[in-house]
Amino acid sequence: MTEPKIIGFLCNWCSYRGADGAGMARLKYPPNVKIVRVPCSGRISPELVLRTFREGADGVMVLGCHIGDCHYSTGNHRTAKRMPVLKKLLEYTGIEPERLYVNWVSAAEGEKFAAVIKEFTETIRALPPFSETMKRGRPEGAEKEVEWTSA
Amino acid sequence: MIEYKNVLTTCPYCGTGCALHLQVMDEKLVGVLPAKKHVVSEGGLCIKGWNAHAFVNHADRLTKPLIRKNGKLEEATWDEALTLIAQKLGEIKTQSGPDSVAILSSAKCTNEENYLLQKFARAVIGTNNVDHCARL
Amino acid sequence: MDKRINDLRQVIEKILPDVDGVIALRTGPGGIVAPYLFSKERPDELAKLALWPKEPVPDTLKIILRAHPEAKLAIVCRGCEERGIVEMFKHAQLNLDNVTLVGLQCEQAEVESCHCFKPFTVHARLTIGQPLEGLRDPLMAKVAAMSQPEKLAFWKEEFSHCIKCYGCRNICPQCFCNICTLEDEKWVETGRLPMPNPSMYHMIRAMHMTAKCVGCHECEETCPAGIPMAVQFRLIARDVREMFNYEPGAVMDQKPPQLLVLEEGEYERTGLPH
Repeated sequence: MTEPKIIGFLCNWCSYRGADGAGMARLKYPPNVKIVRVPCSGRISPELVLRTFREGADGVMVLGCHIGDCHYSTGNHRTAKRMPVLKKLLEYTGIEPERLYVNWVSAAEGEKFAAVIKEFTETIRALPPFSETMKRGRPEGAEKEVEWTSA
Repeated sequence: MIEYKNVLTTCPYCGTGCALHLQVMDEKLVGVLPAKKHVVSEGGLCIKGWNAHAFVNHADRLTKPLIRKNGKLEEATWDEALTLIAQKLGEIKTQSGPDSVAILSSAKCTNEENYLLQKFARAVIGTNNVDHCARL
Repeated sequence: MDKRINDLRQVIEKILPDVDGVIALRTGPGGIVAPYLFSKERPDELAKLALWPKEPVPDTLKIILRAHPEAKLAIVCRGCEERGIVEMFKHAQLNLDNVTLVGLQCEQAEVESCHCFKPFTVHARLTIGQPLEGLRDPLMAKVAAMSQPEKLAFWKEEFSHCIKCYGCRNICPQCFCNICTLEDEKWVETGRLPMPNPSMYHMIRAMHMTAKCVGCHECEETCPAGIPMAVQFRLIARDVREMFNYEPGAVMDQKPPQLLVLEEGEYERTGLPH
């Protein structure tokens, strides 16, 4: 079975530093997550998450500052409003909503970061790869999915 | 006085003939609305129909005939342009035969204009190389 | 239907002298109905007043107000159209200071044709007709009850008919952005039909309709392929009601949730971890 591919969007001020903290403490966690640093978790638009799935991610993580601690005061309020609705939309479309993971990790929570990565990787490992899930909606012998076409 | 109305017309693009409303605000074309309950389009439009108003006042549209002189396109009168066309087409027809000319018409022309154009192609030039953009 | 037309005509004739125009539906050539601006200079045109099929009049109001911001207008609107106008007002698309709403209540046949959940106006002071109770869309319950592979197969089948005419976006009263995400090649691939699965276009639209969709059903009516995309919008609207206590167009003073920070108790209802 192939290893799950997970993309993690980490906010620069809290969760990314939390990841650094986990690294400095030499904590072990699965290597499946590729981290993308963004200024704030509020930067993550639903289009970004959807395209990440379309490009082949099996799971997407959005980690931000705790509510009330956002470097931009209210950026994570946007995340807290958008992401639950996106999870619902995934569910209504037939995609497992567990594939999108949202949590808050502060700069001092290296251990929580490692634990969250471990937990989510196991969640995704238990699910089929995203392409398999998509195949369920297709009748046998139908054309295969074409890669993203724009340059 | 403020004037707003919807003018029912037919889409100028393909041969389906969907009806649409042109939204006119104070004599200016501002948009398109589909025609519900119409026997052909039933309230739907394709992407070309939805943008059927876009070409009417487009900045790229020609307002005067242009003739290429010394490699540059210059404005000309209708008389100049038509005389040049008649002369050149006559030359080509004599030198290379009528079938070396092809006429491409447009779905945005009226039926009458298209009739004239095919008559021109067949009776005047003497070729049946005539077609138009909507036959796709 | 006849009684409502007569009542409406009487109401319009009474307010016509005080306004620059009344936006209502007019029967045009071939019996095709379209929005029109009736004015006091041409009162005989009221003989062509029509009620059905309903048309997207909020956009007409916006077009006229853009051209004449000081105009005094009245608009005949149904429940859904009134909600559309109120939502547009909340998003700063039009100014309602000089606008009189004339509320037209829907009849049973009209309610059933739209599966409308709220076929009556709440803000208009002048009303015509009796308010009826709304319906639940049976397709909504059916889709919500499907299993995951069934849902996937259902939407894949439906969206495979999409021809990307952008009609659903063009006719939506809430789609007014000058720069539309759906036209951005980063998010919606051009030149790909049938739509890929999952369809980026439709999912982005559903997300952008969060807390904006007023359930006017125009998108489904104009879709040439008959795709029931509003089912997704309405399912999300149900979640928005639960999580953020917000219903588009219902309360004039309530700001849309995406413009605000989290309110008391909202975070707990989102289901996110503590």
